[in-house]
Parts: sequence; C-alpha cells; structure tokens
Amino acid sequence: MTEPSGSMPIRLVLVDDHRMFRSGVRAELDEISGNRLEIVGEAGTVDRAVEVIREQQPDVVLLDVHLPGGNGRGGSDVIAGSAGVSTRAGGPVRFLALSVSDAAEDVIAVIRAGARGYVTKTISGPELGGAIVRVADGDAVFSPRLAGFVLDAFGAAAGEIAEVDEELDRLSSREREVMRLIARGYQYKEVAKELFISVKTVETHVSSVLRKLQLSSRHELTAWASARRLL
Amino acid sequence: MREYEVVTSPHAAPGPQGVAPRRERPPLRRASEGRVVAGVCRGLADHLGLHPLALRAAIVVLTLVGGTGALIYAFLWATVEPDEGEAQIRAARTRWADPGVLLVVGGGLAVLLGVAALVQSWGLDLRLDITLPVLLLTVGAVFVWSQLDAPRRDRLLAHQGIDRRQALGRLVLGLGLAVAGLVALGVQGGNLAQLRDVGGAVLLTLAGVSLLAAPYVARLWRDLREEQAGRIRETERADIAAHLHDSVLQTLALIQRRADDPVQVARLARAQERELRSWLYTGPTGHAATLAGAVAAVGHEVEDLHGVPIELVVTGDRPLDADGQALVNALREALVNAVRHGEPPVSAYVEVGRVSVEAFVRDHGAGFDPDDVPADRLGVRESILGRMQRHGGTARVRRLESGTEVSLELPVPVEHQGAES
Repeated sequence: MTEPSGSMPIRLVLVDDHRMFRSGVRAELDEISGNRLEIVGEAGTVDRAVEVIREQQPDVVLLDVHLPGGNGRGGSDVIAGSAGVSTRAGGPVRFLALSVSDAAEDVIAVIRAGARGYVTKTISGPELGGAIVRVADGDAVFSPRLAGFVLDAFGAAAGEIAEVDEELDRLSSREREVMRLIARGYQYKEVAKELFISVKTVETHVSSVLRKLQLSSRHELTAWASARRLL
Repeated sequence: MREYEVVTSPHAAPGPQGVAPRRERPPLRRASEGRVVAGVCRGLADHLGLHPLALRAAIVVLTLVGGTGALIYAFLWATVEPDEGEAQIRAARTRWADPGVLLVVGGGLAVLLGVAALVQSWGLDLRLDITLPVLLLTVGAVFVWSQLDAPRRDRLLAHQGIDRRQALGRLVLGLGLAVAGLVALGVQGGNLAQLRDVGGAVLLTLAGVSLLAAPYVARLWRDLREEQAGRIRETERADIAAHLHDSVLQTLALIQRRADDPVQVARLARAQERELRSWLYTGPTGHAATLAGAVAAVGHEVEDLHGVPIELVVTGDRPLDADGQALVNALREALVNAVRHGEPPVSAYVEVGRVSVEAFVRDHGAGFDPDDVPADRLGVRESILGRMQRHGGTARVRRLESGTEVSLELPVPVEHQGAES
C-alpha cells in the first residue's frame, strides 16, 4: 500500500448486490488494512446505495457494475444519483468499479459515468486495498484488462498515436507505453522504473488516460458505451 | 332440498358423505341414476337446481307443440357428457360448469318457449322449417356465450386454460350458426323484399352484438397473447436453468467432493468461471481461426492443465497463419514455464498491431537467468527462442525485480499490413 493520505482512515462504502461478496470483501479488507480503512456502510441496490452515500459521505465507494434498481444502468446510476455529494473533508466522493463482467461496454459505461478505476473481483486483498488508497488520493486505477480495452478502443494497439497530448481521441505515445505495461501486469512502481519516470508521473499519465476515456467522443468508445448489452 | 348425487370437483378431495351441498352448482352431466330416458332432464335439473319433473314436462310439451322439445333433448343428449369417471367429470366441468352457460341455457329455453307460444298464437302449425332455425339459433348462442365467458371463468377457477384457438374457432362457428338461423327464421315463406329487410335487421343485430362482445373478444385476445409471452419466458427460464444445472451445479458438486484438494478446486472453479463467462458475454475474443482466438484457447488450456489463473489481455486481431501459429506455440511454452516455475499472478498480454505482433508473459517468481539454462533443456531455448527465430521473429527473456518476463515479437508480413485496419 502506498503512503497514507493523512491520519484519518479512508471511509468506505461497499455496494454489491451479493451479500456474500460484501462480507468477503469486508473480511479481507479488515485483515490487511488495520485501521487504514473504515467500512461505514453497505448497500445492495442502486437506491439504497445512493441513500447510504448521501448519509455517510464516504471517501471511496466500491461499486459493482451490475446492480438492481435505479434506471437499470447499475453502477452508473449510483454515480449519477450521488452527484454533488462531497466527502466529510469536502472533496469529491471517488468511485472504484469492481466487476466480474468482462464486457467492454459495461466497464466503459461505468468509467464514463465517473468511476476512477476498474478492477476485477478476482483481485487479491492487498491489491484491492492499494487500489482503494490510490483512488482515495484521486488517482486512477486500471486493471490489465481495462488497459487492454483502452489500447483497443483508442486504436493505440493498431499504432494510432496522438500528435499532441491534449488530443482526446488518441493516446500520447507515453500514455500508450504506460497502458501497455499495465496490460503486461506491471505495478505502477514497476512501470515507473521501466520508463525511467517517477510513480507520480505514471499516476498523472493514467489519470490523463482516464480523462480521455471519460470525455472522448471517439466512435468505438461511444458505440461501446451506448450499446451496453442487457442480459 | 334434494340431495346432490356427485358434488366432487376435480380439485377438491371427496368430502365425507352427508355434508351440506356446496354452493357451487354440480356440472351439467347426463345423470346415470334416477333417469327416465338418457338422463338429460335429470342432469339438467341437478345442474339448474330445478325439479326434474318440471323439465321433463317442458320437454314433453315442447315436443308435442312442434317437435322442438325432442330436438333439444337430442341435442343435449349428443353434447352433454354422461356422468361417469373422473376424466369425463373434468371434461364436463371445463366445458359447462359455469353460471354464464347456465343463463344461456335457461334463456335459450325461455326464448324457445316464448317463440313457440307466439307462433302458436298466430294459429300457425309449427313445422320443421321453423323449429330447425330456432334450434340453430339456440345452439349458436350457446356456443358464443360459453366461449365469450371463458376468460372470466378461467380467472375465477384458475384452471389451466382451454385451447384458445379452439375457442375462437367455436366462436366463429357459433356466430355463423346464429346468423344462418336468424335469416332462415326471418325469411321463411317470404319474398325478396322481406329477405332484404330481415337481412338488414340481422346485420344491425350483429353489429350491436359485436359492439357488446368486443371487450370480451379483446380480452380473449389479450389473454391469448399473455399466455404466449408467458410460455416464451418459461422456455427461456428453463433453458437457463438447464444450462446452470449442467455446468455450474455439476462443478459445485465436484468442488464439494474435492474440497481437500485446493489445486483441483481452484482449477474447477476457474474453468467453470470461464465457461459461464463465455456463455453470458459470448467472450471478448473471437473463434480459434484468428490469432486472438488461438491465444485465448492456449491461455485457457494452460490454466486448465496447471490450475493457475492467467490474466490474459489481447488487443487487436488478425487471421491465423503459420507464423502466427508458431507465436501461439511459443506463447504456450512461455505460459507453461510461468505457471510451473514462476509465482502467480501470471499475466499475458498480446498486442496484434499493424506492423508486428507482440506477446508478453510475466510471472512473479524468483526468476532465472536464460544463460544458466542447461543446453539440454529444450523448453526455453528451442520451443521459444528457436521457434520464434525460425519464423522471422524474436524472443527475449528478461529478469525483473520480481519475476521473469518473456517477450515475443513477430513482424506482420508486408503484404498484410495494408489490409489490416
């Protein structure tokens, strides 16, 4: 885990419609985090989640992509419903998507709704703890799979590279390098070492990719986001 | 009040004898006991709660006045099920045990009586050409009403519904009979002008009846649609249940039996997860005829063989050729090495680009130096490095701070580069 962001524990809300999964995550986080994380609430539906978030004003919400209730868009609805809620310290509430879904459109939809990252449910406890701390600090968290999606969706794997970093529809060559290393299973620390840059710079690149992911109107992205399949 | 003979409904257990008769009427059946001819009057009397003698008298009178009574009797005898056996009781119930039908039968009889009396008062002799249309009319009306009432009856009794197509067919038949009867009754012995008048009257009546019946018909149709939709949902549900049973439940059973073998449990769980995923999301990769499909297949195979999860990410795709197959084979060897000698998590990333295909396999073990590998160990030297070189590619083994990474690179033939998108 990275350095603590102040002495206060990170206040966390778990949103998942499987009670067993929630208790599993709770047990795992209790075990590894000591008093760094405090789980202040749990919810199993969109409406209950919005209620709990408004009431508790947590720092981080661990958010399942598929949830019952709301407008039927699961995690995205929770993020939309919690708009305007701030943490007790006055900052924005951060969302970390946690899903078993491999479907690109599910992931892209929740990221575009405002989640700061995406990890799969098979993630190990310590890694999950690290991801939560990172999201609480305002950084983005990308799983290898999400990095793969990004490379595919922005055409970076096929060699499309932005001329200027600010271009929303393509990745810069540095961002592409970072995404490739994350897809290869590298931790941020290892990415930094590989590219001879600082961890902070890696985090900046990842956040910038997240921003592009959220704001870009690139066709593949919007197609994915809008054609979200319903089971 | 007289005692009912058989009051069991197919859904209720037979009650003890002597219990007060149920409020529900007994179904219309031809009585097998206490009958005079075929049990029609007795059965009808039981059903209507009238004295059988009154009905018999009515039939006899109607028969004497013009033969109608005999026709009605014959009709009922032909259509009403005899009172014997459970199956027939049930069949009779679904067809006749209904207050609506009761009304129709009663009303039909009253109409018959009235018409007979009316015609009699005109001093006319009742002949078959009058009684036959009247009968047709009655039969048609009975059919129409018994069917129009079906949805309500079904809802009240919560039966499994009768075949609605058949019901619609009967409705049409009944209406046709009724029209034929009306016209025949109206124009007998008349001229052309009468025919027109009567035809107009019949059409007007029909229009009125249609207006009245429209809501019922609409409901009948809606019920039919709902039932069909419900059946489709049920089929889907059954398909999903069958799939879950064949796959997930079987695996869970296996896992319980192998609970003491964590490697096996992990392998089973992983394989099942993948199977379910591909079933739910039709998988992120294509079929095995493409490079991405072959890579995914190899990744799954190694996972299954060794029970170690592999985080496999593939971007891009292209058709699988001989060089691509060589890369897949080398990748497989690298994955086997990673799961066998390295530590999890094992990650694999394959990027199918425009000018080259790159593959990375990394584990988190202690790592090894490729130069230390004995020459007789074919694994890395031959299967990975040699194979890639033979197909114009390169392979590299790197030792990281934690773990080892094997990178493979294969250039895409120039003639294919333009075709890629």
